[in-house]
Amino acid sequence: MKYARLVVALALIGLLAGLGPHVLPEYWVRVLIVLGINIILVSSLGLSNGFTGVFSLGHPGFVALGAYVSGILTLELTKKGAYLPDLPGFLAGVQLPFLPATLIAGVFCALVAVVIGIPLMRLSGNYVSVATLGFLVIVNVVLVNAEQFTRGSRTFTGIPPYTDLGWVAGWAVVTLLVLSRVAYSPLGRAMRATRDDPIAAQAVGIHILPARLMAFALGAFFAGVGGALYGHYLVSFSPATFYVAMLVQQLTMLVLGGQASLTGAVVGVSAITLLSEVLRNLERGFSLGSLQVPAVFGASQIALGFIFILVMVYRPQGLLGDRELPLVTGGRVAKGAGPVYKDTVGGGRT
Amino acid sequence: MKKLGVVLGSLVLVSLGLAQGTIKIGNAYNQTGSMSSLDVPASNGAKLAVKEINAAGGVLGMKLELVSYDGKTDPATITNMATQMINSDKVVAIAGFTDSDSALALGPIAQKAGIPFVTAGATSPQLPEQIGSEMFLACFGDNVQAAVGAEFVYKNLKGKTAYLVWDKSTEYTTLLGKYFKDAYAKLGGKLLGEETYKSGDKNFSAQITKIKALPQKPDVLYIAAMPDDIGTVVKQFRQAGLTQPIVGGDGYDTPLLVEVGGKAADNVYFTTHALMDAQKGTPEVKKFIAAYKKEYGKDPENAFAALGYDTIYLLADAIKRAGAPDPAKITAALMQTKGLKTVTGSITFAGTGSRVPQKAVTVVAVKDLKLNLAATLAPSYIPKP
Repeated sequence: MKYARLVVALALIGLLAGLGPHVLPEYWVRVLIVLGINIILVSSLGLSNGFTGVFSLGHPGFVALGAYVSGILTLELTKKGAYLPDLPGFLAGVQLPFLPATLIAGVFCALVAVVIGIPLMRLSGNYVSVATLGFLVIVNVVLVNAEQFTRGSRTFTGIPPYTDLGWVAGWAVVTLLVLSRVAYSPLGRAMRATRDDPIAAQAVGIHILPARLMAFALGAFFAGVGGALYGHYLVSFSPATFYVAMLVQQLTMLVLGGQASLTGAVVGVSAITLLSEVLRNLERGFSLGSLQVPAVFGASQIALGFIFILVMVYRPQGLLGDRELPLVTGGRVAKGAGPVYKDTVGGGRT
Repeated sequence: MKKLGVVLGSLVLVSLGLAQGTIKIGNAYNQTGSMSSLDVPASNGAKLAVKEINAAGGVLGMKLELVSYDGKTDPATITNMATQMINSDKVVAIAGFTDSDSALALGPIAQKAGIPFVTAGATSPQLPEQIGSEMFLACFGDNVQAAVGAEFVYKNLKGKTAYLVWDKSTEYTTLLGKYFKDAYAKLGGKLLGEETYKSGDKNFSAQITKIKALPQKPDVLYIAAMPDDIGTVVKQFRQAGLTQPIVGGDGYDTPLLVEVGGKAADNVYFTTHALMDAQKGTPEVKKFIAAYKKEYGKDPENAFAALGYDTIYLLADAIKRAGAPDPAKITAALMQTKGLKTVTGSITFAGTGSRVPQKAVTVVAVKDLKLNLAATLAPSYIPKP
């Protein structure tokens, strides 16, 4: 029964990805692509921020690394000569297809996450947030200075436009499947235990560092994959694309949907994406009968901010809190037996 | 009841007729976000141009209609906006943007759809090559303005030695510095060294110390800077006793140079698109300033207002010669543009094989908090893009 639902959901997504580009206007295909990429990015952020309580601010750093790694690996050789003439030999001669490049980008990010995570995941609370923010700043500075790899602050362009709805839908499903398997497994319970009460968790034999590191690295892997997809969607970007503005957007989507819920991440991303598209089109001005509303650019950001404040006042735990669709937990968590979600960092009322 | 139907029916017909009688042009600017200080004036200039053209009878007997969206200085929003303009609004051409990042986000989508895209103020001469046959610049390229800067330094200021300082955090300043170095060496000038900083830096003592420690004093300093930084840069360099002429690009074309720099901005020279001065400008500039002031109640904020205005006139001229609002014909007509007089100079694409216009560059000199015309030059040597 539970597999039947999963199959139906997968079939629907497959149908959407397969038929979408032929039936939907290109504008909606693009909105769905960005929506799917954000689902990958935000749900992977949720694994560390929501499930393990390590409130990371470094996520866009991994997205950036993923985009640049995959971009460098897939760039046509002639373009490589023109845009990145100083690439070291072993990179100058490679041109990989999309899938391997995406996977390498993800693995590279996971490795970086392990290396920086070993010292950082020992920290908790605000300290780990500040430290991961430091990581984001370092990535930005490195990208700006590593000119032979990234063109520095100049726009990295000429990347093949591989990303389409099929790739994004496929990776979003893989991301959600893997994350839900991990989050609602014994390992996931260990992650939540280290979040809710580290001392009690240690007392029952859970090692805090491996549990957190696992969440951080897995999150980084999918951030890298999402970054690769985003890079091949935009086809040109610069280090500034993956900085504070992106961080704020991801955190907003995550916190709005509910940090400790994969369903919440999907809801948060969908709500903000659709709302900002609707508002963006409204702010261009419209006419209601005889009433002419002029264009007020910037109004959409104000309205979004206001809605966000309202949600935080009335539902500080986010729209879904830590509730999940049964589909996500796969029946591995008994109804009502979910963890008591207490957010100690992220701005909830505790 | 029947009457009502007739009235409604004729209304529909009238509105259909109107819809057919307009030529839609995409107005792609970042109305909000970090680029808005340059993009909003450019967008205002574009709106003014459309109003003037329509008041004069439109193009090919049809009115121009600007389809505006806000790019929000965000690449994902810009790609959505581009798709909407092309697929939903069916624009026949797109005008917009003053930075290459935004132009590079929109460009590939316009290229794929075969819609001509003219950027008002993204000065990277590499854009047409990076994006393709639909990409045009309404402004000169950075290689041209850097070459003019180098010639002005070498010939007008008699600067046989120079020191180069550039902001390495943006594409614009990086390229500008690179082109200056190339052109200055070609002229026979001697670069005594170079130093970098990052946009947003507030302390330039490291760069200043290095310049002061040089065994030979450079005749001129060439500083490739962003609008937000140039006031602070000039002030600190002068306070440290570096009194040489400071020369730079159109990033200096901001009220901040004089407001923040004050008297320190004396002996500063910069290359830009036009001198935006109601008294000292060219007749075209004077006319534009008067029209802009009448429309918006203030002087144009910078030369980008004029560039936004010129971009629309460039497109209108091409549509007229194309004979039909058809994107492919407009692209072909744009390529045939010859000697089109605009506020920021004359635009020619025909016979050049380039989609970056070879415009004359205005050099502005600052004295006693005032901007003066120092020279109008076309470079003898242009560095490769």
